[in-house]
Amino acid sequence: MKYFVSRALAALLFLSMLTGICQAEVNYDALSRKASDLMAMGDLPGAVEILKQIPAPERNADGSAFVASRMQMARIYASLEEADNALAANQEILALYPDNSEARNFAAALKQQQMPRWRSVLADCRRFLPSLLKGATMTLLLVFCTMLVSPLGGLLIALGRISTLKPVSALCWFIIWFFRGTPLLLQLFFIYYGLPAFGVTLPPLTAAVIGLGLNYSAYLGEIIRGAIQSIDHGQMEAAKAIGMTYGQAMRRVIIPQTYKRLMPPVGNEFIALIKDTALVSTIAMVELMRSADQLFNTYFNITALALAACIYLLLTSIFTFMFEKIEYRAGIYERR
Amino acid sequence: MNDVKEPLIRLVNITKRFKELTAVKGVSLDVYPGEKLVIIGPSGSGKSTLLRAINLLEEVDEGNIRFEGREVGYVTRLGKRHLDKPHNICTLRAEIGMVFQHFHLFPHMTVLGNVMEGPLTVQKKGADESRQIAVDMLDKVGLSDKKDVYPATLSGGQKQRVAIARALAMKPKLMLFDEPTSALDPELVGEVFDTIHTLADEGMTMLIVTHHMGFARELADRVIFMEAGSFLAEGEPKEFFSKGQENERIRGFLNRLL
Ligand SMILES: Nc1ncnc2c1ncn2[C@@H]1O[C@H](COP(=O)(O)OP(=O)(O)OP(=O)(O)O)[C@@H](O)[C@H]1O
Ligand SMILES: [Mg+2]
Repeated sequence: MKYFVSRALAALLFLSMLTGICQAEVNYDALSRKASDLMAMGDLPGAVEILKQIPAPERNADGSAFVASRMQMARIYASLEEADNALAANQEILALYPDNSEARNFAAALKQQQMPRWRSVLADCRRFLPSLLKGATMTLLLVFCTMLVSPLGGLLIALGRISTLKPVSALCWFIIWFFRGTPLLLQLFFIYYGLPAFGVTLPPLTAAVIGLGLNYSAYLGEIIRGAIQSIDHGQMEAAKAIGMTYGQAMRRVIIPQTYKRLMPPVGNEFIALIKDTALVSTIAMVELMRSADQLFNTYFNITALALAACIYLLLTSIFTFMFEKIEYRAGIYERR
Repeated sequence: MNDVKEPLIRLVNITKRFKELTAVKGVSLDVYPGEKLVIIGPSGSGKSTLLRAINLLEEVDEGNIRFEGREVGYVTRLGKRHLDKPHNICTLRAEIGMVFQHFHLFPHMTVLGNVMEGPLTVQKKGADESRQIAVDMLDKVGLSDKKDVYPATLSGGQKQRVAIARALAMKPKLMLFDEPTSALDPELVGEVFDTIHTLADEGMTMLIVTHHMGFARELADRVIFMEAGSFLAEGEPKEFFSKGQENERIRGFLNRLL
């Protein structure tokens, strides 16, 4: 009998605990729902009062409702610009769960908000700069690779275009027509996502350099062709008259004279290139634009974007300056 | 000059058409070594075209060119006329100097660079040898003090003298001058003529197109009057200019010039 009673009591106790726990969960649920209702109605202090009723969990018990409530409180306080209260709410979480990253980030952001504006921006910059600079390195690598490849490709295309061999000239016309006539983004997609269908799988960097290289070769090809054809025909005649072959005349006489004329449009193209590299962020490359985008999406902080803009401006300014210098040097023989 | 049997260059029946227009109509011409030949004639008569045909800057439609007795410029393949291999054409051009009305100096090279370009790039002589040749040629045209400047800083007469030096640096056997003074201010014409005179005195074979009759009379062994693509008259200058007055067309042309 005694045995039976103790068993029953134990069972009863177990059941009541079970229901108690359920009850508690239901209650918290109801409380948070009520808090959200109040928030929706704009009664923020009321919501805080409700949320406060959710107690800290017992040892080892599930604390998610508690953490959610304190985060919610912290956010409400933050939006009411009561930073101290917000920090206190946050502190409650950290006291129990020192590793909670959400609370930590929030606390860090709160502390930063209490700094003067310029110091918080500076702190942002310090936080974002390393990954942005890493992205910028990739951007520069892409720009340099393209700057190596495309003038050569452009020269070949230009020489092909003015060649008297019909098939060569037609092929080069086609290349220019195609690569100037379709979006660079589409070309990149095709090379990176499309070529695998034909059994060619390229790493992102290779695909990006090929795409940018072909595109810019096509543009530079037209520019170089124009520059070559703008050189007085008498130059070619004079070169031929002293016995030069076509190749020698091109190499020694015609092409060197195009340098000065090429610098302004080629400078333009390369500045456009710096910005066009942003497109390769769509084929799984982490360059400056992608880094900025990632930072922005993590921190919802516009400083990351502004900083990226500054880096782009810095790069384009350096290029502008460089090309002005080169243009001056290339045309030195025209000055009297 | 007829004591030399072999002409330096022989043109046989040269015809050049531009679409419907026939610029040169079956012209034949022998030029003997050391001869100075002046071609005159109205604008558009085909003088430049004929000169350019000689060093193959113009591909002609009919006719043969012989240089030092060799057939040059064209080959017949499958019954069709073609320009010869580029290599052979370049070899021929290297032996014929040409001076243009508008100089066509290479603006990106210094005066010295212009003159040494032929020996250096075409004849593949070393830099030192090429420079020495260029310095000598600039001496000859009296411009060695200008050797390090760019052509943009020169006067027209100086430019043309550099152009002559550039052609001479290749040690050509024949010099073609296409209106070498027509683009010059009158006061600069003299220095260029003097330079050409010096060359003539050294025995250079030359073919000169010019509108300066005084110069033609003074320099030429033979004067040719060209009109509408053919030779209308030719002769020694004295004979030409006196007899020429009998031909209405030539008289008209000469009177218009004077
Ligand atoms: N590349 C060309 N294409 C078409 N017609 C041409 C070309 N070159 C010359 N011609 C024509 O051929 C004719 C002869 O020209 P050419 O230059 O030989 O005359 P020219 O005697 O040298 O005249 P000028 O004294 O004005 O220099 C002209 O009617 C000219 O218009
Ligand atoms: Mg002419």
